[in-house]
Amino acid sequence: MDRFKAVFFEEATTLINELERVSLLLHNNPSDSSITEQIFRIMHTLKGNSTMFGFYRIGDFTHHFETLYDYIREGKMSVTDNVLNITFASVDHLRVLLTDVELENSVHKINHENLIRGLIEVLNGTSGEESIKNNSSDHKIENKVSDSPTYWVKFVPEKGLVRKGTNVLFLLDDLSQLGATYTVSNTERLPDFKKLDPAEIYLSWEIYVSGSVTENSILDVFMFVEEDCELEIRKISETNLLDQDGFSTIARDVSLSIDDKILKFGGLVKKSSSKSRIEEVRNKMEKANERSIITSKDNSISSIRVASEKLDELMSLVSELVTTQARLNLVSEQIASSELISISENIEKITRQLRDNTFSICLIPIENLLVRFQRLVRDLSTQLNKDVVFVSEGADTELDKNIIENLADPLMHIFRNSLDHGIESGEERVKKGKPAQGKILLKAFYSGNSVIIQIRDDGKGIDPEMIRQKAISKGLITADQNLDRRQIFDLIFLPGFSTAEKVTEVSGRGVGMDVVKRQITEIRGEVEVESVLNEGTTINIKLPLTLSIIDGLLVKINATHFVIPLGNVDKCFEANHEEFVDKINDLIILDGEQVPFIYLRDEFDIKENCPQLHQVVVVKQDDRRVALSVDTIIGEYQAVLKPLGRLYKSVDVISGATILGNGEVALVVDPNRIIKEYIFNQIHNEVLQ
Amino acid sequence: MKKTILIADDSESVREVVSFTLINAGYNVLVGVDGEDAMKFLDGKEIHLVITDLHMPKKDGIALIKEIRGKAEYQYVPILFLTTESQAAKKDEAKAAGATGWIVKPFVPEKLISTIEKVIR
Repeated sequence: MDRFKAVFFEEATTLINELERVSLLLHNNPSDSSITEQIFRIMHTLKGNSTMFGFYRIGDFTHHFETLYDYIREGKMSVTDNVLNITFASVDHLRVLLTDVELENSVHKINHENLIRGLIEVLNGTSGEESIKNNSSDHKIENKVSDSPTYWVKFVPEKGLVRKGTNVLFLLDDLSQLGATYTVSNTERLPDFKKLDPAEIYLSWEIYVSGSVTENSILDVFMFVEEDCELEIRKISETNLLDQDGFSTIARDVSLSIDDKILKFGGLVKKSSSKSRIEEVRNKMEKANERSIITSKDNSISSIRVASEKLDELMSLVSELVTTQARLNLVSEQIASSELISISENIEKITRQLRDNTFSICLIPIENLLVRFQRLVRDLSTQLNKDVVFVSEGADTELDKNIIENLADPLMHIFRNSLDHGIESGEERVKKGKPAQGKILLKAFYSGNSVIIQIRDDGKGIDPEMIRQKAISKGLITADQNLDRRQIFDLIFLPGFSTAEKVTEVSGRGVGMDVVKRQITEIRGEVEVESVLNEGTTINIKLPLTLSIIDGLLVKINATHFVIPLGNVDKCFEANHEEFVDKINDLIILDGEQVPFIYLRDEFDIKENCPQLHQVVVVKQDDRRVALSVDTIIGEYQAVLKPLGRLYKSVDVISGATILGNGEVALVVDPNRIIKEYIFNQIHNEVLQ
Repeated sequence: MKKTILIADDSESVREVVSFTLINAGYNVLVGVDGEDAMKFLDGKEIHLVITDLHMPKKDGIALIKEIRGKAEYQYVPILFLTTESQAAKKDEAKAAGATGWIVKPFVPEKLISTIEKVIR
């Protein structure tokens, strides 16, 4: 059963996330009935599922919640701020309930009781008469009557009943389970043999049942066929008639009506037919019908849920395949058999398609993150007493799921900053001639092989001069250092820099933009800030589409292969060995421009076979250019990234390794780190001088 | 001989619970994630009962029931649909489409088996 519970939790989490998303929609359109309908449906499913798995507390909680939205969709209540607040609180509480189903934590328990009380109060505030007590008690327990009454059941099935998959004999069987039965079959409808259709039912029955039977238990037998037959049930005696002498003679007499028979049996008790019951069901149905008129369009796409480990495994298998494929190519070229080459080419084609497909499977739209931000904006703006609207564009832009997972934290931080420090209070905004309502825009779009995410607010912006002063006061730069606008904004990302004048509850908990930068760099992204005073701030994040395979430039130094991510490669040059040695300032002139260089042979301590002519790869990161010297450039290469082991953690200029077709290992260079290292060395040198 | 039951439901937890219960009760179980997916099992093999949800993407329960009834080899197979009390209107529609009966969600395993035994044994 635990296995199912895991599935239940997964499904419940999805439902709660959906509930949160829809609730946010409701926040924006409180009068949209299709949204309340959706919330009702989600609650209904959650209630059903949790009860089915025995999570009664969740079931109980969702029951109240469901009642609330039932009232709303029936127009008995409207969506007030109070309702919205309790809705969001409930969303949070439901998440808690999933982790603490039995409410062992007393805080959770108190919260649970408070919320239920709150829900009940909200409900009672409008219509008190229909209590929210469990109203599923309409299964009346009939008074057990003395010994064993006798019922008479007349059952005339519709001829076509078999076509609905019903086996009529089972019904008679079930009836005989209820007690002692005596069945009389009526063959009146039986046609001439030639006209007989074996798939039709011509017989009908009168059944006498005696035992601890009730009308309901008989009706239950016919539950599925009530509308496809003529059914009459009568209690003909409080005692068991079946045992009486002469019973069968009377019962079998087709010339007598049931009333006559009852007279003959010597006692009539009560006449009732299933009609009334059917009527009742009909009424219920009609009521339900009215309710469900507002069924909103189900826009769910057919999909299956897969555990993310399975995807990671698939991804790693595909990576292996790509590597092995490279090897196959190499071998088939060496063997030079045309047949083998054609097979290898075919496999290469399929491998590529498989790889692309697998990639696209691992991509999920950014939309998955948005609910969190919407929620954050809603909660924070309420807390800070600011009116802020959150707008997103390009929510369908897709990114690798691992990137998305790692993006949530830094983005949250950026949002918090915008709300707390960026957007001004309402009065301040009006004074400045801006609309009172602030706006945060998240825009995502593709740009070549990358995805750009912009977070833009229309707040007070950042004053570059202030940043400068702050950086000087913190000793991050010297007062005479000349920095351009871009470099000044980049100071924000330095550790220990925080523009917030006061530490507030919302942001500024000691986590600065340097952490944001680090988190984004870890997923091979870049981040930059652009801001115009009094107009707002824009944070640009550039991200790779995927983490596991990169397009690289394969280069070689002596016998070692290196891969430089193609996205970072700016230009390639050739230069003589002399240009690199004995330089004081480590600058090389390329295209008439001075470019700092890193002599990789020194960096990696490779001394043998130094060529006269070097190849120079200029890499770029955040607008900084650094030239890297290598022996030879082999060409473009699709590298499947393998993490380096624990022991190589400290080697940070290498971000991973890849296996080449011939089985050799190539190291993947991290240009970002190299540039950092360069800057570090430069500063270090300056200090020494 | 074990009887074969085909389940069509887009909710994974419902599928899992229903099939777990049925397998434990000694039935063979086939599982479809929606109406269209379920149809692929109706290729002539013997199926003793179909249990279907009503709300499903691609092909919903009503359409599935109609399609099954349209196939000569399955026109008499019992079909139960999963429903909730709030879907009473759908019950009529499903019955009219040819369903044999229904199972009200949420259900406990005993109830599921006893309902199934109403239509197959």
